Amino acid sequence: MTSGTFIAGRGMLYLFDARAKLLTVLALCVMVFLPLRPLGLWVLVAATVLGAWHATGLRQALQPLRAILFLLVIMILFTPLTYRDGSAVLRVGSFVLATREALENLNVLVARFMGITYLCTLFIWTTPMADINLAFRWYGLSYKAALVFTLAFRFIPSIAESFVMIQDSHALRTSEQQEISRGTVHLTDIVPTVTSALVVALKSIPYLAMSLEHRGLGRRERRTSYRRLVARGGLFTHFLLSVMIPTVFFLVFNTI
Amino acid sequence: MKHMIEVRDLSFSYREYSGSQRLRPLLSALDLTVKEGERMLILGPPDSGKSTLSRILCALVPRHAEGELSGVIRIAGEDLVATEPWELTRAISLVTQNPQEQLMMTTCADEIAFPLESLGTDRDTIIRRVDRALETWGLTELAEVNPQELSGGERKRLLLAVTDAIDAPVWIMDEPFDDLDELWRARLMDHLTNAARTVLVFASRYLDEFRGSFDAYGRIHDRRISFGAEERIVIDFERESEQLFTAFEEPGNIDAQRRLAARDLTIIHARRSASSAQPFRLRVEDFHIDSGEVVALVGPNGAGKSTLSRVLCGLDPCEEGSLTVDGERVNQKQLQVRVGYLFQNPDYGIFLPSVREEIGWSLRRRKDLSPQERERMIIDCAALFHLDPDENPTMMSYGGRKHLQAAVYHVLDRPFVIIDELDSGVTYAAAFEIVALLRSRGAAVVVITHDRTFAKNLAERQYRIIDGRVVETEVGS
Repeated sequence: MTSGTFIAGRGMLYLFDARAKLLTVLALCVMVFLPLRPLGLWVLVAATVLGAWHATGLRQALQPLRAILFLLVIMILFTPLTYRDGSAVLRVGSFVLATREALENLNVLVARFMGITYLCTLFIWTTPMADINLAFRWYGLSYKAALVFTLAFRFIPSIAESFVMIQDSHALRTSEQQEISRGTVHLTDIVPTVTSALVVALKSIPYLAMSLEHRGLGRRERRTSYRRLVARGGLFTHFLLSVMIPTVFFLVFNTI
Repeated sequence: MKHMIEVRDLSFSYREYSGSQRLRPLLSALDLTVKEGERMLILGPPDSGKSTLSRILCALVPRHAEGELSGVIRIAGEDLVATEPWELTRAISLVTQNPQEQLMMTTCADEIAFPLESLGTDRDTIIRRVDRALETWGLTELAEVNPQELSGGERKRLLLAVTDAIDAPVWIMDEPFDDLDELWRARLMDHLTNAARTVLVFASRYLDEFRGSFDAYGRIHDRRISFGAEERIVIDFERESEQLFTAFEEPGNIDAQRRLAARDLTIIHARRSASSAQPFRLRVEDFHIDSGEVVALVGPNGAGKSTLSRVLCGLDPCEEGSLTVDGERVNQKQLQVRVGYLFQNPDYGIFLPSVREEIGWSLRRRKDLSPQERERMIIDCAALFHLDPDENPTMMSYGGRKHLQAAVYHVLDRPFVIIDELDSGVTYAAAFEIVALLRSRGAAVVVITHDRTFAKNLAERQYRIIDGRVVETEVGS
């Protein structure tokens, strides 16, 4: 019904307080859209990819890239066609495929997209959902609002897991007489598989509601908390880091 | 003595899924009284309304499932009509048949703590109760693990741990013994016997552990509950179950002898949500099944039975070793079209809006079949498994969905089929019939079970997982 995004691993990111980490991620996400030099953007992308590699291993670290690969290919194929100004770099006959400005723009877009993807992924991979919930509440969000937000983070991965389960189930139902190449099966099965995954997700909503209500969500008592956020070395140090990281980065790579 | 659960003249009908105004009656003029401290067992075949009744008693139905309810329901003297589900958290605890329907947090500890937080319990008490519940149900080492990464039996234990931590005076349990191994079944029975709680257990099979353990016995039939002495209730229930299904028969002549074998396999399975110095490791030196055989695969909860099954049917890779079919090495893709796998949770394998489409999905690429032949096969297969081709699987019972899962593989005519915990949610008679139908055309069947009686009556050979190793042992041992 729900799933987790947290992946057990190693490194400083796991020790970083959830409240400070949330601030850092938000600040870096905003910074990605500020006028930074492309080199700065790519350094940020490299840092997040290396961070994911160190924390969870190479195979896991490449997963977000695989997830957005299709969108990246679409961006690379079509973005140059939408920027027609500037000096032509690639052309077929008289038709300009890409200009220098279009490629520069594409470079920035791809870096921003990858940067944001890896920043958010690293945050949810290295922070337990209970800590994210507590961090939201620390920033003033009500319990219900924080729960809705974190439930979304649990529910969406469960749709992805359902998709894999349905793929598994469908794979087991291919006729023995007609082994079909993997690519063919994927292409023809993608629509019913996606539809089925969404149906499974919709079906699980009443059960989720039943479970929440049966476990007391909606009661008038003041809700207590099993977990507590503990910032090793002091919360001030964590927040100092969370401000310093984006600031230093911006000062080094900004173009203003 | 005070009546903790009091039901008078209860009737309930589900609204048809098609959105029409038609109603499907499930329970009618049902009476039920459970006294304070009483332990009651209600037996009923799949689709008899056990799960629905358990949810009605917790005020969850018809609130979250369209239907019409009438009658009087009182929990500890309070009328349920004017009660919201969250007002009952302190009074009544429900363990559902399918743990997936209740688990919602990302660690086992948080799952147990959630209702205590809702009740405003102070933090020290929550910590104490969470630790105690984890320890009681053997989950201490899994405290920080995502419940989605647990085995079926571990998930069931987690739900029991939640119930334990809340410590409500009334426990309602829908098939609580399903998915548990023998050790945990015995512990649960002890727990129910020793707890000074009002306990209402629903089950679709009469297990050996139940003998003499309850104060009152009943069975659901004809949409209501009848009560009586244990022996009378069990005899009537088993007679009714046997009438619904055909007897277990030996397969006829088998045309081709086929063999699935695994040799020197090493399977490693790591959990994502919690670090472990030693990831789960399973070693299989020699495992084989031949056409027409029924082989039991047994072992404690979390031993790796489902993990091994996923490797045998080609869904997951193994680290080393070889898998062969008829003496030839096969890859994952080849295994997938030769070995059928009925998942422990039928919902992992059923997704389409009707029984017809679900069975038909398996035949969609059979170009040798005309549409009429395909339709004929679907209708015949549905009839064989007591299914209505137009029924929506979502509205079917857990046991009904298991039948549908089996029908899907029957129509595929796989030479090898693995059935994960078939005996949960279905009667013995139904389980025997499913196995008989699957091997009627010569399939070799691996049955994963925790039920020694079931294994003894069904299997010819048995493999047991002991300390990470798969070894052949005597059937029913």
